[in-house]
Amino acid sequence: MPEAGRETGNRGMLAVDPPHLSWSSSPMDVFAPTGNLYAGAIWPEVVVTLTLLLVLVVDLVGGSAARKSLPALSIFGLIGALVTLVLQWQQPQLESFLGSFAADPISILFRGLVVGTAVLTVMMAERYIAQSGAPTGEFYVLLLTATLGGMFLSGATDLILVFVSLETLGIASYLMAGYTKRDPRSSEAALKYLLIGASSTAIFLYGMSLLYGLSGGQTKLEAIASSMGDAGLAGIIALVLCIGGIGFKLAAVPFHQWTPDVYEGSPTPVVAFLSVGSKAAGFALAVRFLATVFPAMTEEWRAVLSVLAILTMILGNVVAIAQTRLKRLLAYSSIGQAGFVLIGLVAGTEAGYASLIFYLMVYLVMNLGAFLCVTLFSLKTGTDEISEYSGLYQKDPFLTLCLSICLLSLGGLPPLAGFFGKLYLFWAGWQAGAYTLVLVGLVTSVISIYYYVRVVKTIVVKEPQEMSVSVQNYPETNWQAEGMQALRVGLVLTLVATIFAGILSNPLFTLSTQAVEQSPFLGFPTAQAFIPQSARLQVAVKGSLGSSAQTGEG
Amino acid sequence: MTLGEGVQLVTFVVLSAMAIGFALGVVWAPSIVYSGFLLGGVFLSMAGLYLLLNADFVAAAQVLIYVGAVNVLILFAIMLVNRRYTFAPLKLGWLRNGVTAVVCLGLFALLTAMALNTPWQLEPIQPTSSVLVMGGHFFREYLLPFELASVLLLMALIGAIVLARREFVIPQAGEGDLSLLERARPQLESESERQAELVSTR
Amino acid sequence: MTKAGIDLQLGFETALQNLGLGAGAAHALWMPLPMLLLIIAATLGVMVMTWLERKISAAAQQRIGPNMAGPQGVLIPIADGIKLLTKEDVLPILADPVLFTLGPILVFLPVFLCYLVVPFGQNLLISNIAIGVFFLIATSSVQPIGLLMSGYGSNNKYSLLGGLRAAAQSISYELPLALSVLAVVLMSNGLDTVGIVEQQSGLGILSWNVWRQPIGFVIFLISALAETERIPFDLPEAEEELVAGYQTEYSGMKFALFYLGSYANLLLASLIAAVLYLGGWSFVVPVETIAALAGIPLDNPFLQIGAAALGIVMTMVKAFIFIFLAILLRWTLPRVRIDQLLDLGWKFLLPVSFVNLLLTAALKLAFPTFFGG
Repeated sequence: MPEAGRETGNRGMLAVDPPHLSWSSSPMDVFAPTGNLYAGAIWPEVVVTLTLLLVLVVDLVGGSAARKSLPALSIFGLIGALVTLVLQWQQPQLESFLGSFAADPISILFRGLVVGTAVLTVMMAERYIAQSGAPTGEFYVLLLTATLGGMFLSGATDLILVFVSLETLGIASYLMAGYTKRDPRSSEAALKYLLIGASSTAIFLYGMSLLYGLSGGQTKLEAIASSMGDAGLAGIIALVLCIGGIGFKLAAVPFHQWTPDVYEGSPTPVVAFLSVGSKAAGFALAVRFLATVFPAMTEEWRAVLSVLAILTMILGNVVAIAQTRLKRLLAYSSIGQAGFVLIGLVAGTEAGYASLIFYLMVYLVMNLGAFLCVTLFSLKTGTDEISEYSGLYQKDPFLTLCLSICLLSLGGLPPLAGFFGKLYLFWAGWQAGAYTLVLVGLVTSVISIYYYVRVVKTIVVKEPQEMSVSVQNYPETNWQAEGMQALRVGLVLTLVATIFAGILSNPLFTLSTQAVEQSPFLGFPTAQAFIPQSARLQVAVKGSLGSSAQTGEG
Repeated sequence: MTLGEGVQLVTFVVLSAMAIGFALGVVWAPSIVYSGFLLGGVFLSMAGLYLLLNADFVAAAQVLIYVGAVNVLILFAIMLVNRRYTFAPLKLGWLRNGVTAVVCLGLFALLTAMALNTPWQLEPIQPTSSVLVMGGHFFREYLLPFELASVLLLMALIGAIVLARREFVIPQAGEGDLSLLERARPQLESESERQAELVSTR
Repeated sequence: MTKAGIDLQLGFETALQNLGLGAGAAHALWMPLPMLLLIIAATLGVMVMTWLERKISAAAQQRIGPNMAGPQGVLIPIADGIKLLTKEDVLPILADPVLFTLGPILVFLPVFLCYLVVPFGQNLLISNIAIGVFFLIATSSVQPIGLLMSGYGSNNKYSLLGGLRAAAQSISYELPLALSVLAVVLMSNGLDTVGIVEQQSGLGILSWNVWRQPIGFVIFLISALAETERIPFDLPEAEEELVAGYQTEYSGMKFALFYLGSYANLLLASLIAAVLYLGGWSFVVPVETIAALAGIPLDNPFLQIGAAALGIVMTMVKAFIFIFLAILLRWTLPRVRIDQLLDLGWKFLLPVSFVNLLLTAALKLAFPTFFGG
């Protein structure tokens, strides 16, 4: 009997042999955009994968001279991926791999964010890894894999791909967190991250399995939404479980407990990647997952997310006041920043999503700028105590300038980039009627300004006797040492971007609005509303540069 | 009820009872070695449940991966680490256990209510060979996750080697000793140390 | 083709139904029979093997070997069995009674489960499940748990070390073993053992997999030798270092389980090697060709019975070739060191088996007619 079953099974498979999958054996044809797989959608990921393999092989066969070129190789590959992303922007691919992956404008922007973070992280990491004596090649491999996971997560439209890319990002992050393995703090960070990450993945998986069951065996996000219908209690439970899993990636309160310890114990470049790249991928997942799978439960998920946002803003910003180490302070501040970004998600309007993306772009440059400064300082002094920064102004004006600008921008002082980002976010939230959220956001921004300014004040003390021991023994910067040039380039880039992204924010904002309008899964009418909306927003913002309160009402 | 259905029902009940019993054993076993062995029982019972669902390949994979690899690895770790700690009973330990039990039972009640109240879209299982079906899925709609999993595994391999590799050159403390560049926070002096210091200064 | 050979199950059930029993009851009566037959056959096989082991070992050392118990000492396995059954079953005072008892059972049981999918003929196997060889690999992976259990439960340093070594060896060599089997599966387009044999049956000896999978065959032999813990891979019970490894504390019936299990495992590995690489039950020249030459129609019942008997004999002959090889190796090769063992497994066999798999896939794409298109 089993014999018969096997025969029919065989014949069945042959009968439905899909013509669109019969690739020719030449590898170039696999990615030909003419195929029905639309495999061209993953060109950027392919570039990153090839870079990863190249780094691995060069590290294996090359001598020590070749190993020194690994960071440059990684940056080169990542920039190549950015170029392919820009090319893809011209021709977005709304569906590829039979509905597994979407390269729509939103996914392209988020993938760009992840890749951009990776570029700056490599710049930061070169010197740090060399000085800590850890093996270099593997670090870039892990970082590139994490980038790959984040990129796939940004465009995944299928439960299975969501899960696999989430795990790729997650496991690579755990490994990077424990990379300085002789340090007990690093091992502790990796272990905590792994345990909490694994349990949150399990929660997310439970939610996904409920969705799979409710929709009668669908794994594509859109198909789930259409065949789930009104799911009642099970739908609510699935929603809560999924938000729990996503909340871990966003480090939203109450899923934030891992953040401070992991940020304190991981190598600084890794922290930088986690706080921006991983978070951006998490937001991409949140936007796509919630908007696509739960359109019938929009009210519910907005309510849950607004509670999370309020808790996140309050806890992140209040606890940050008490921190004495800059890495830990940035950890709590990044929790608070995620709370601000959540306002855009809760608003759920076109302007809300657009301001979310815009803020993430701005957050990328200013937060990574701050981390570059922290890295440089700890490279030279071996500490990140805030009190040790006092008097740095007199020894290293350049570093002082960078750090102050980035921190003030994170706090949201005009006319820096962070100010405009927050302004858009609060404006969009107010428009959408999320008054409580915006008020909490305003109050907590004021709190955040306090602790950022406190750091800046420590740095710029005038009196030489108040200078800390580390700063008194501050060594001359040797920009010729291995990896220092990259660090400098990163510093200058982020500094310039932080200063000018605010004043010249128009193209960035147009970009994000365009992305929101042209991504059909969000369901906004395309094209016609685009120009007036953006222009109106610009007018509203420009008119209220002086007082943000007016904008809030307008 | 035919003979086949009866056998299925009995098998299901037995396997479920085994899975739950072994799982409880994992939690309650006094020795961690017992927990490890009982975990293997949980995995085997799950494999049996997969078999009942006509997923023969998944069942065999479950045995191969979870029992043959994961569980053996866990047992290895337990047996190679020979540390015996005696844990002092926690203050108000019963309260913790009680709260945990209440939360778990509440969750169980919630999930049961959900499972019973939801109109699940049921489909009869097609009696085709699950290997063929899975192969078809892997190379059609799940092609991308399938390929990404290979990168994931490669990275996991490299990461495992990085963690496990013995560093032959151990530099002096400070520079390049595979630790964070930021100094650790100075340890707080414990009471006994301070006492000792006081004695010595006297 | 599918109706060639005899269907014992159908015959038995129709006979019972003719006697007035229901179809379900007839099936229920049939079900335990093959298993019983199998256990008896495997036990008999083990007995023959222990005798052979003694005789061949003796020949290798220019001794006579057992010669008092029966003609040529053929009764020595029975004497062995009686001795083991009547010995006192010692439970060390500090041993863990549950784990100590459960360990041998868990070592013994998977081996016998694996016999479920070993075919001796077209319909001469207990269950032709679709995942055949995968079931085999999966089931045999349970064994290390039993080894760890008995090693830990004995509360003896040598036992624990032996158990850990056995488990490490077992999981290291499972990978090349599974990969070399996968290459065969790739050629036969299916995991079931009957399909694998049928795919090799076209041209007699010429179409056996050993010609198409020489690398895989060697990898399989080495890994199977390691899986069965035979010399040169018998580190878990290396007498000079570990007394008897995880078996140190065992006696009586529990020891008999280990003993039986290890020989049954060797027999199983040899049978699987015969099935995967030497064409299973097929004769050097296909039976169909002989029948055609002799002018006998294929549905002649005598031909079918003859073919079935020939199939069983062929399978056993092929399997015993491997057993002979294993015994011969025992007196030829010295034992490897533990690091050599792991190096061989992870750094040599594993990459080579990956290459073999890739090569097979490439050849299958290039020459689909020869490599099972």
